Amino acid sequence: MNNTISLTLLHLAFCFTLVSFTPISALELHGTGANMVETTCQKTPFYNLCVSALKSDPRSSGADVAGLAQIGTDKLKAKATATLRQITALLKVAKDPKLKMALRDCADYYNAIVKYDIPVAVEAVTKGDPKFGVEGATDAANEAYACGRGFKNQPKFPIYASNKVVHDLSAVVASIVQLLL
Amino acid sequence: MADISPLLPVSSSDGSSDLTGQATCRRPIKVVVSIFFGLLTVGLFAALLIRNNGSVDYVDVHENERGSLASMAFEKAENLKPVSRGLAAGVSEKSNWVFGGDLPDHPWNNSMLSWQRTAFHFQPEKNWMNDPNGPLFYKGWYHLFYQYNPNAAVWGHIVWGHAVSKDLIHWLHLPLAMAADQWYDKNGVWTGSATILHDGKIVMLYTGSTTEGVQVQNLAYPADQYDPLLVHWVKYPRNPVLVPPPGISPNDFRDPTTAWLTSEGKWRITIGSKINKTGIALVYDTKDFINYEMLDGLLHAVPGTGMWECVDFFPVSETENNGLETSINGPGVKHVVKASLDDDRHDYYAIGTYNNRNGTWIPDRPNIDVGIGLRYDYGIYYAAKTFYDQNKKRRVLWGWIGESDSEAADVKKGWASVQSIPRMILFDKKTGTHLLQWPVEEIDSLRLKGKEFNQVRIQAGSVVPLDIDSATQLDIIAEFKIDSDALEKATGSSDASFDCATSGGAAERGALGPFGLLVLADERLREQTPVYFYMTKGSNGNLKTFFCNDQSRSSKASDVDKHIYGSLVPVLRGENLSIRILVDHSIIESFGQGGRTVITSRVYPTKAIYGAAKVFLFNNATELNVTASLKIWQMNSAFIQPYPNL
Repeated sequence: MNNTISLTLLHLAFCFTLVSFTPISALELHGTGANMVETTCQKTPFYNLCVSALKSDPRSSGADVAGLAQIGTDKLKAKATATLRQITALLKVAKDPKLKMALRDCADYYNAIVKYDIPVAVEAVTKGDPKFGVEGATDAANEAYACGRGFKNQPKFPIYASNKVVHDLSAVVASIVQLLL
Repeated sequence: MADISPLLPVSSSDGSSDLTGQATCRRPIKVVVSIFFGLLTVGLFAALLIRNNGSVDYVDVHENERGSLASMAFEKAENLKPVSRGLAAGVSEKSNWVFGGDLPDHPWNNSMLSWQRTAFHFQPEKNWMNDPNGPLFYKGWYHLFYQYNPNAAVWGHIVWGHAVSKDLIHWLHLPLAMAADQWYDKNGVWTGSATILHDGKIVMLYTGSTTEGVQVQNLAYPADQYDPLLVHWVKYPRNPVLVPPPGISPNDFRDPTTAWLTSEGKWRITIGSKINKTGIALVYDTKDFINYEMLDGLLHAVPGTGMWECVDFFPVSETENNGLETSINGPGVKHVVKASLDDDRHDYYAIGTYNNRNGTWIPDRPNIDVGIGLRYDYGIYYAAKTFYDQNKKRRVLWGWIGESDSEAADVKKGWASVQSIPRMILFDKKTGTHLLQWPVEEIDSLRLKGKEFNQVRIQAGSVVPLDIDSATQLDIIAEFKIDSDALEKATGSSDASFDCATSGGAAERGALGPFGLLVLADERLREQTPVYFYMTKGSNGNLKTFFCNDQSRSSKASDVDKHIYGSLVPVLRGENLSIRILVDHSIIESFGQGGRTVITSRVYPTKAIYGAAKVFLFNNATELNVTASLKIWQMNSAFIQPYPNL
């Protein structure tokens, strides 16, 4: 009898623990921090990337949409800055002139992303005129796209992965900021 | 409690395995309960695993891809797409940068970029500009203020720029009128409007974004009313004069209008906002521009339109060909409500009737209400604002024209945005449903030599070059005659779904269109910007005319907007089709049917620049011959420069 009860209770306890880690739509009504991230990310074109990026920052639990937008732009800035460093490092050792040219164009695009697009997005969200933030983030995505296009005729695209993350994350940030309109 | 350690292996999938050995009367229930919870556990655990496999870890994206780099052809990256500007997922699939054309090795060189700068449109010497602010005429000078970033060619750190002109065309730059130097505008000296009081004094109301990011309304006035240049401005020491009212978000309260008089002699203003997704215009009365009472009702509201920015409210005469001072009301007067929609970056207007007593306005045609009907301009045009020009008794419209290239290019060239040529606004008596916009007559003073082309016959499917010298600064006025026989004979089709934006542009041949002009086109038509009419005939025989501007082949560069802009344009019986185009380097302003439908676009050619730019007539219809008569003037520069010896 005691064994039955304790067994049942243990099963119940374990099941409920699992339930709390599995998204069930009823949970969304309660609006916990984790669910704000999920509901917001559902409205972006790259759900999984969005969730990973936002959740990797502890501030995301309990953040509102504006807060999530801030976190997203912080992540984007970090990734874009790292990619720019990658490009600069590759430029130092690249020998092929066509590769150098493509890398230099990417450096220009990434300079624009880090120096202009992202700060515009941050300023727009914090100061309360989000439409410019949508534009800044969208431009960042398009500039990453343009950087990639420069490698169209290249056999290798060494920064493909980072560039894709910057592109996709920019699109995510643009969608989140769009929600503030 | 019982020792549970033998039960710990339950955390693997088969939760029921250790229970099968027990033999008591309760065994069936225990087994059932255990199996139930066991299966539940299995199910939930499986769900959790599947969920985790589906998500891509932020860091893993980088690592997974590395292995396949060597064989990665660029085309495989079809996941990497240009992103729709301002139209994020769920709103529209259409990308802002329609992918097409070759990418030159170095997209933008200095020659291409410096060509883009306009010759006779207002723009500051460098950096970013957006909304026009507080336009007015005072002591012989037209004033324009504008949203300006003194630090960069992108939006940010916004302050008020200032320029003056005697004729709305030749502008002289003055020092910044207002900086972000008070707590109530530290985060932005945003858009505002001027009101000229009975005694001729000027008051300026503008939105400030405070140190906390709250949008408030502030009062400012000229430091010296005897200075015709109005160089220095003073902010009212006890700003703000208005803060967001209860129920309105601190981020949804901006862009106060010019005030108009109520029948009780008070001043009345309106400020745009939103409640959920309903765009609204709040109304305030004041006697001194310092103390305000908010009216209970709204001027107007339209569900689903989102935030109303840069609201404008003004009277137009149904009968006279002059503008009306902002306070005028009475018989023969209609009122226009205009809003800039934050959600889609377009300016919409509607014509209706204003009730002075309760401060409300009703549209003449609710089906084309504010935000769901007519636009000032079907291209790049936003944050427009009118003012009453008491000098020439007209209502003049300003509009911000942003860039449609990349921010990287803007940064490279060091500037972004221009203002439209100011337009005179009139009620269109002939249709009764539209406003007419037309470049102010002072622009004609820029015309240098003109060339006339009379009765040029353009056969179906042909292109006719027009021999003029240079083609980057032009004023073109063209009229097109069509054989009425051809219109009669054309078979009506259920082509009722034509829309400039979703059409194939000037390359899509229809029975009765497209035909018009190709501007900023090079000799071999590798780059071209068609501005044209496209007529359709419904199955009931009704003709519809569309006025479009096609950017899809405007440039070989891939990082510029390639959309097709345009709209239906009303054409009345007996009217010829007419177009006016102002070409000024990277901006084209096109007016259809005397300004009934207007399209502004930004064009960034790589080849059709300087001496290589040309103009053509074209007719790509299959069943229609068209005859065109036009006059083309070379346009002088407006020599916009700093005010000398200030």
